[in-house]
Amino acid sequence: MASAMTHSHNGHEASRAEIELAVHRRLMRFGEAESRVAPVWAEADTTVRAVESHLASLWTMAGDEGPMVTEKGLPHARASVLNLIVTVPDELSAERVVGTMLGLGFRHPSRAIVLVADHDARGPSLDASVSAHCHAHQGDEQVCYEEVVLTVRGESAAHLNGIVAPLLIHDLPTLVWWPGDPPFASPVFDQLVEMGDRLIIDSSDFSDLMVGLRRLATLRRRSGIGDLSWQRLGWWHELTAQFFDAPRFRRYLPNLNRVIIKYALPPSSGSEPPSAPDDPVPGAASPIAQSMLYASWIASRLDWKRYATVEPLEAGRLVLTLEGRYAMVELRIEGIPSNKVPAGDLLSVRLRAHGETGAAEFIVDRDGDEAIVASNADGMTAQLRRVRMELPSESELLANSLMTDRHDEVYEAAVRAATIFLSSARPAEEAG
Amino acid sequence: MTTTSSRPTPNLAGDGGPRSIANPLREGLRLGRMPEPCTMVICGATGDLTERKLAPALYNLLLGGFLPPEFSVVGFARREMTDEQFRAHLRDGVDEYSRNRPIKESIWESFAQGIFYQRGNFDDLDAWRELSTVLDRIDRDRGTAGNRLFYLAVPPTLYPDIVRQLEAAGLSASGSARPDGRRGWSRVIVEKPFGFDVTSARTLNKEIREVFSEDQIFRIDHYLGKETVQNLAVFRFGNGLFEPIWNRRYIDSVQITVAETVGVEGRGEFYDQTGALRDIVQNHALQLMAMFAMEPPVEFRASDLRDEKLKVLRAVREMSAGDVALNVVRGQYVSGWVEGQKIPSYRDEPEVAPDSDAETFVALKLSIGSWRWAGVPFYLRTGKALPTRVTEVSVQFKSPPLALFERAGTPNIEPNILAIRIQPDEGILLRFGAKVPGPGMQIRSVNMDFRYGSSFAVDSPDAYETLLLDAMVGDPSLFTRDDEVERAWEILDPILNTWASGSGGPLHFYGAGSWGPPAADELLERDRRAWRRP
Repeated sequence: MASAMTHSHNGHEASRAEIELAVHRRLMRFGEAESRVAPVWAEADTTVRAVESHLASLWTMAGDEGPMVTEKGLPHARASVLNLIVTVPDELSAERVVGTMLGLGFRHPSRAIVLVADHDARGPSLDASVSAHCHAHQGDEQVCYEEVVLTVRGESAAHLNGIVAPLLIHDLPTLVWWPGDPPFASPVFDQLVEMGDRLIIDSSDFSDLMVGLRRLATLRRRSGIGDLSWQRLGWWHELTAQFFDAPRFRRYLPNLNRVIIKYALPPSSGSEPPSAPDDPVPGAASPIAQSMLYASWIASRLDWKRYATVEPLEAGRLVLTLEGRYAMVELRIEGIPSNKVPAGDLLSVRLRAHGETGAAEFIVDRDGDEAIVASNADGMTAQLRRVRMELPSESELLANSLMTDRHDEVYEAAVRAATIFLSSARPAEEAG
Repeated sequence: MTTTSSRPTPNLAGDGGPRSIANPLREGLRLGRMPEPCTMVICGATGDLTERKLAPALYNLLLGGFLPPEFSVVGFARREMTDEQFRAHLRDGVDEYSRNRPIKESIWESFAQGIFYQRGNFDDLDAWRELSTVLDRIDRDRGTAGNRLFYLAVPPTLYPDIVRQLEAAGLSASGSARPDGRRGWSRVIVEKPFGFDVTSARTLNKEIREVFSEDQIFRIDHYLGKETVQNLAVFRFGNGLFEPIWNRRYIDSVQITVAETVGVEGRGEFYDQTGALRDIVQNHALQLMAMFAMEPPVEFRASDLRDEKLKVLRAVREMSAGDVALNVVRGQYVSGWVEGQKIPSYRDEPEVAPDSDAETFVALKLSIGSWRWAGVPFYLRTGKALPTRVTEVSVQFKSPPLALFERAGTPNIEPNILAIRIQPDEGILLRFGAKVPGPGMQIRSVNMDFRYGSSFAVDSPDAYETLLLDAMVGDPSLFTRDDEVERAWEILDPILNTWASGSGGPLHFYGAGSWGPPAADELLERDRRAWRRP
């Protein structure tokens, strides 16, 4: 049904079938992954009960043949820590989901339910395939997960919760990962989010960042929201905070007066970042998301308020004046076309402050999977050092999001600040 | 990025203390426990420990982002060496022993800028004064703020001299105790063994305490840095299910096994003077027992934890000479096969006396005279050249009050077992009876097996990483306190004295690759119990 949003479908049954086929080809890669430990079970026009009973038989004695999944000849003692519901709105997402999920298997024993739902499609209401995967970890240890791929067509697609609920492992946290731009207004979105304990999104995928973040701020989840774009900022947060861990630099913190953030735009675009739905680059819908979250993180930690718009957001560039406790702060965010890092990733951060002994500057510059960190303060020669900045893969980001089960109040404060900054960053005619 | 070290550590030691103004950017971040800028001084830096353990631990902490940018290292030892040579020495250690390899060149190069070497004899006060000058210079150049962590990677016999030199060179005082009003802390890390009996341990503690206060002293027992030992506390106090049955009413007995497959491996001289009781029981085994048996602390912080552990040790009944003969079995291995390798007899090992009666195996039965544990025997055993390498604590629960199924033809149901494995395959196993499907009433024991490795596919940090970081942060929870060390010796001293006097039962021989001498089995058979075969 989400594909109906992103692909116009004026009764083009042929192209719909093609898309569907393509999605399935990609999703079948789950079943064929090297880590597969039991034959893939697949059935067209099946029932939820059939899927349920196949899942149950995976790990138990199945007739004379013994259990399907064994470890050292013994039935595998399965550990499981969570349910994951993943929606696949379109072909592009299918590719991304497969890649990410295969990477994830190493980290979390889980049951993953992948949903391809199309309200307007014809054909059987439910097709399903089930596969089980185990990865070796630390010698003999096995981390296992099950993958259930469900294609839901027609009216059933509007009632996904009834299909998913019986397939969840009881009493485990349930997470809903919604790759792409979530259809915040759709009842299906509400249904699934309601089933989960936690919603995982990537704000860089939002077609309208401000609207998306506003919606996030009003969603009330039991254990909050995981934003992969926020997770990507982990090292940036850490390195920035490190400057001010040292007591001698702490005093510069209230006196910061300029923050310059540079981030990567897709290489081709020198102008407006692309937001067309057929753009194939994931994370390119709102490449400014990470920079915006980083800026609003500092601002919300240090209690900076919006003061004036110097340059509204244009061509990925934005300049605002913020009001700090002791000083006015210039916030400058600048997108630079780059093919070295994924679109949206930060390239550098420069913080400047006034001190008793003159200006101080704190710099983090990304250089591939390392960063150069420098501080120039106290009249001391610039301290330079090189540190690791391996930005995690999407699988790792997802894995980290799955490990948390709390509200992240720091994130939530940053999101609130970001919506305020973004609304004042709109060009004059749009600002409201 | 790893996600470790989120252990709550609210109240730190008073030396230097928590920062006066918090860093608002730190709130909610992954690394809640960033150490203050500091310099780590490794005394005896050219030795094995630096290469095998310290260098890899520091490098992995660096990669994880746990070290502050100012962090510096100074190697201090007798050998002539340049900064460059010392950096290469540490690098070799990382190359060979780090869990993250290969080394990242540019990051190491950048880190190496903060590594220095200072030559000096430990008995030469001028060398220590020079060291002090070097440390002042590093404080100035690198902003390490007068914070120093001294790691004594030297034999314990040198500890007293070294701490006195540190004092004489003005390096030992912390915070307000520093003469010239300069700020910063000094801490010292020492390795086991802490003495070889209660008298020597008291003397050693006293000599160190003459210079450093207890909250500056970090005694490493690397077992306490292991994840599962910390998990023991979570298992007991983070779950509502286990604590109510963690007492004499439900628990029949407890076994603690620390088994090694290796022989003495070139440490013949050291081991011949030490033996299994001093080498393993005094620290690792008794610490495990204390973590297992302690009362819930009021708060999960260092002083409360250590108070509770001490209470357990204080409640352990000291043995009379007669008890020793009855409750302690010592053994020594003779030639045999372990893991497909032939191991020579202990007495044939290099540097071991041909008539040595050092014990390479010991099994003992202890009782804890506390309200909670009265009447529950604690069986401890440890040894070298045993069939498998395993450390575990296993709990045997009492049998049900009625043998309800005896009448149905199922006479002996095995008792429930809960085994907590520390290494390898960290995890928890619960053994319980289940009905065999089909007509009739047949009961068999089944295992419910939980492994950390298959639930969290995340690399655990090495114990030294955890402990070094804790010492930098100033959190002594996982280090042993002076009174714990002394009390452990008080428990073992009667055994050592009885053995020394020639009584206390014979030294039994066991073949390498067996589970110790038959006398160890008899120790339990007498109580109608048996050792678990882990």
